[in-house]
Amino acid sequence: MKLKHALTISSATDAGLVRNFNEDSVVADDDFGLVVLADGMGGYKAGDVASGMATMIIGNELKDKFAKGVGKSNGVDLETELLRDAVSRANQAIYHAAHNKTQFQGMGTTVVITLFRDNVVTIAHAGDSRLYRLRDDKLEQLTTDHSLLQEQVQLGLISAEDARVSHNRNLVTRALGVNQTIAVDIRQERALPGDIYLLCSDGLNDMVDDADIELAMVAIKENIPLLVQQLVTMANDNGGHDNISVAAIKIEKPFPLRTGFFARWFGASS
Amino acid sequence: MAKLVLSLNGSVLGNYFLEKERFSIGRKPSCDIQINDQGVSKEHAVILTMGNDQILEDMDSTNGTHINGQGVKRQILQNGDVIEVGRYRLKYVNQKAMPDMDFDKTLMIPAFDRTKLRAEGADKVGEDTASISTAVANARNVKTVFPLGVVRGIAGSVMGREIELVRAITPLGKLGGSAIISRRPGGYYITHVAGKKYPIVNGKSIGTEPFALDNLDQIEVGADKLQFYLQ
Repeated sequence: MKLKHALTISSATDAGLVRNFNEDSVVADDDFGLVVLADGMGGYKAGDVASGMATMIIGNELKDKFAKGVGKSNGVDLETELLRDAVSRANQAIYHAAHNKTQFQGMGTTVVITLFRDNVVTIAHAGDSRLYRLRDDKLEQLTTDHSLLQEQVQLGLISAEDARVSHNRNLVTRALGVNQTIAVDIRQERALPGDIYLLCSDGLNDMVDDADIELAMVAIKENIPLLVQQLVTMANDNGGHDNISVAAIKIEKPFPLRTGFFARWFGASS
Repeated sequence: MAKLVLSLNGSVLGNYFLEKERFSIGRKPSCDIQINDQGVSKEHAVILTMGNDQILEDMDSTNGTHINGQGVKRQILQNGDVIEVGRYRLKYVNQKAMPDMDFDKTLMIPAFDRTKLRAEGADKVGEDTASISTAVANARNVKTVFPLGVVRGIAGSVMGREIELVRAITPLGKLGGSAIISRRPGGYYITHVAGKKYPIVNGKSIGTEPFALDNLDQIEVGADKLQFYLQ
């Protein structure tokens, strides 16, 4: 099923003002309702290889499966399985490349994925790339960072406010390509018309605070490509210390799977 | 390597490197820095190391622990902080604990062993906060070197209103914005957001690109007319 009529998707990635290379990667596909964003790390340009492998492998894997036909959504489990398998494949590929080629040694990448299907968004992530949602003009973070900073807060060692003065913002506790297996967090949420989902690398949320991200999303919700550009501009205006990647998805209409006669007739291929 | 410089009345008594995950300061002989003074509790304070952070925690000492003159329970140390324990001072020296060092390349580290940390005194496992504010303090606001901009409504629904352009973005027109004014390091810009009609500045349509505003420019957004000026 093509989701172009129901979703508006726009994305941008920018090296920022300080780094020479952009090691982030974004893949967005409004036919399949899929967005994958990755923030790579390690070695001379190897971070770029890791994030590029993650977005490409996950994107292709999911598109292949949908093209072949994955059948009718069987409760909540189908999309969850699909994302888990795709992330696992990407993890293994990056892990093997990192361990077989010296120039890729130590590379890894975060990833955050949204898959929109049958009025539900399935969210998967590992690392500190984030997903936010704007609903009824309120911003909410739907992912919990896999970072040392987050752990410090969860352990009660520092308050959420104190995180601003921490020196640990660059330390992630999960990344693809580091171990043979990856623990990926997956959750599902009902997607409602009017919702705007925002995936980003830490180059955005380390430079622009949540209040200003919310302000931009509320003020520019009628123009998603401009919203994405504006967020990148704001991160650069505040210093642009890191690569900045942003992808926004606005739900224009409900997107139920075809059911009944037509679904059977067309094989309910996706 | 981070270190503490211990002094009393301006005389340096010693240097101590923070090599342990849990570093203790107190009157007991088993403390990493032993201060044999009645104003110091048996175990007065500890410094926990997590990644690049060193967190000072007062151990419910009788006379309290101060950082730069402020009483603290628990705080992330910053380079140059002066910790006061009784009459003694401990200067925290760590070139890595500075705001501009926070943008090092991302590194992967294993997740913390929580059971171990709990055993080491961090037993208040709590605040299951999904969202933490990571935007660094010195990056939160555009450092503007020009005067504050204001728009004054001269016709339409905004007639008579004055809007200070304090935030990064100010929407104009109907909710959802048909235009925004953004505050940037080089000045103010107006940009079309939605709707068939583009904003008009001094009688000319601005099109789709951001347009740099000058003092006393006349703006039209929909039926609203406004004047932009710098304070």
